[in-house]
Amino acid sequence: MHGIRKVYPGVIAVDGVDLDLLPGEIHALVGENGAGKSTLANIAFGAVKPDGGTVEAAGTVGLVHQHFELVGRLRVWHNIMLGREPRKGTVVDVDRARSRVAELAERNGLAIDPDALVEELPIGVQQRVELLRELEREPSVLLLDEPTAALAPAEIATLFATVVQLAKRGTAILVVTHKLQEVIDYTTRVSVMRHGKIVARYETADTSVDEIARAMVGGELPQVAQREPTGAAPCFAARDVSAASDTTTVSGLSFEVHAGEIVGIAGVEGNGQTALADAIAGMIPYTGSIELDGDSTALRHRNNIGIVPQDRHHEGLVLNWSIVENAILGRQNLPGIRKGALTDWRAARADAAAIVERFDVRAASLDVAVKMLSGGNQQKLLVGRALIGDPRFVLAYQPTRGIDVGAAALVQSRLIEARNRGSAILLISFELDEILAIADRVLVMYRGKITGSFTGSEIDRGKIGRLMAGLS
Amino acid sequence: MSTGVSLMLTLAFLTLIKSVPIVYAALGGVISERAGVVNIGLEGMMTAGAFSAVVFTNLTGSPIVGLIAGIFFGAFLGFILGFAATFFKVDQIVAGVGINLVALGGAAYGLVLIFNQPGASPQVNQLAPEQLLPQITVGETALIVLGLLCAFGLNWFIYRTPWGLRVQACGENPRAVTDAGLDPLRLRLYSVIASGALAGLGGAFLSICEVNLYSDGMTAGRGFIALAAVIFGRWTPWGATGAAVFFGFFEALQYVLQGRISWLPSDAMQALPYLAALFAIAGLVGRVRAPAADGVPY
Repeated sequence: MHGIRKVYPGVIAVDGVDLDLLPGEIHALVGENGAGKSTLANIAFGAVKPDGGTVEAAGTVGLVHQHFELVGRLRVWHNIMLGREPRKGTVVDVDRARSRVAELAERNGLAIDPDALVEELPIGVQQRVELLRELEREPSVLLLDEPTAALAPAEIATLFATVVQLAKRGTAILVVTHKLQEVIDYTTRVSVMRHGKIVARYETADTSVDEIARAMVGGELPQVAQREPTGAAPCFAARDVSAASDTTTVSGLSFEVHAGEIVGIAGVEGNGQTALADAIAGMIPYTGSIELDGDSTALRHRNNIGIVPQDRHHEGLVLNWSIVENAILGRQNLPGIRKGALTDWRAARADAAAIVERFDVRAASLDVAVKMLSGGNQQKLLVGRALIGDPRFVLAYQPTRGIDVGAAALVQSRLIEARNRGSAILLISFELDEILAIADRVLVMYRGKITGSFTGSEIDRGKIGRLMAGLS
Repeated sequence: MSTGVSLMLTLAFLTLIKSVPIVYAALGGVISERAGVVNIGLEGMMTAGAFSAVVFTNLTGSPIVGLIAGIFFGAFLGFILGFAATFFKVDQIVAGVGINLVALGGAAYGLVLIFNQPGASPQVNQLAPEQLLPQITVGETALIVLGLLCAFGLNWFIYRTPWGLRVQACGENPRAVTDAGLDPLRLRLYSVIASGALAGLGGAFLSICEVNLYSDGMTAGRGFIALAAVIFGRWTPWGATGAAVFFGFFEALQYVLQGRISWLPSDAMQALPYLAALFAIAGLVGRVRAPAADGVPY
């Protein structure tokens, strides 16, 4: 790719980028939210036309999307073979399609049931389907856009094992990612993007997480806020809570979160976190009691709580609405924002402006549709909305999901600041590092139960890791 | 034969006959919605089919030519809706409503322009009007059989052929279709054209097979009932066919009861199939799932 340029209304997304991918290399493309990485990947794939520059590829290019492009209600084999279905006369030869998929999965070391319905598969397995779909076309260049954003640690290892195999067979691979440890562990070269330009390029062997991070943010990393001593008044209490969501269940959970405390739920995805979060948020029925300050009124009927939901596109934001509209969503009845029967839009704008400023949401204006923001900026808006009013209790589900180191540090700082001001915060995260960095207390969740509790100096990464894996 | 048995027999055959146009239109609705285009214009496409069938039968004397013209003009309106909904990204509901209005108004105007008489056309040759049984003609029987073949064919197409699978993918997630190197807009366009052809055929049945003329408003909301049948039948060809027959039964029942229940005004009786559709759909709210990208422009 040479001299690639792409302009969107109000932003230069990609500004004169040169990028060569060599056969057999795993090239990492890193950068902050909105630096232009996804746009560049989509240009390389051919889904987005550049305003300038040339793209040349020897052979076909495959792209594994950050948000998978699968057909949920169709089977695995159909998703993979779509457009290239083997035929028997005029009908699809299902047996051959199946065996082709099974053979492809086998060759790439990715276990899959060709007949499973895609929507019933866990996220990690869905990604295998998306990856296999691209591999079926035997691409000479494979682009992976944030491939590990939704994966558990074990799934990440499996994915990269496959990717490394592919590279050994001569495929050129580009990985767009935020996770710098993955860059160090698995890639051969790394390009850093900032404001649409490539600002640094390293041989991975010669660099470090710190050096890459500094290049990404263009200076030193922001410091995470300091924790200050707070009182220990009980605030949030779950007693003997059992609930089942579509994919996970929890049974008999009891724990408290004190005011001015961050409690982190550590665990591999799929061990009940979704059910717990949905029960607390009032999305699904539960047994047992969930209380805030001794009052068991459903949390969703209160306006002194903040929730960062797990799926920002389906539960958190209305993508076609503006920043202002999304900023007051769920808070539209607060005294400052509602005036009689109407919304005080001037107050709403001021409120949205405060969120945008404090949480560094980068957008052309407050009136742009949220779908025009990069994923990281959407996430910052979501976290900002949950934290802006200094709520009594905050449920934060993967609050730094899919955002870069600089933005993650900012979000973590804001969480700690809310804690310092007396909010009780329940943090659910699949990234142990995040929990260890900011939680005062760690609860380990395994198969729907709490299997361990660690406070302050007892917190021990090794013990927690073993409990997360189901070992005692 | 006792009157009871003969009445049941009449009801059975009338159910078959009244179902035919709804079945065709509902099958049209299935193919279009499976591809991701909500075809509110079914009603207008039926009207176009009914009217053009009469015009061309009148012109040539051959109801077969009329039938083909009905299919063609239904397909033509399908092409317009398909084009607007895909390449021009017009809101599908707005475009469909527009097609309904144009078809209804166009047919009313055509009656004056072509036949110089408002309200209804002169009588034309009916499609194979010979009685096969006392209750049913040869032409009606032929189109009933053809309707079943269409349901069978559509089912085979959607679930067994590569193109059908792609149409399904198109209605669920058109981006996945693009990524597979195919053109979802084109697939949608073809599907809506097929949808219009089926609705046009259903309309032609009304005008030149069941009777032998076109009268204003003769489709009487069957296109909308067909839309309800698509939902009731959960977007599957056989489901929609079954639902269409279910609604057809209420229409037949309404005819049979007409004049037999003196205390119920006939207008209330005529509302029977629509009420059936209303209750059927109301009972399903929240329990059926449309194709994920149905109605969403791409």
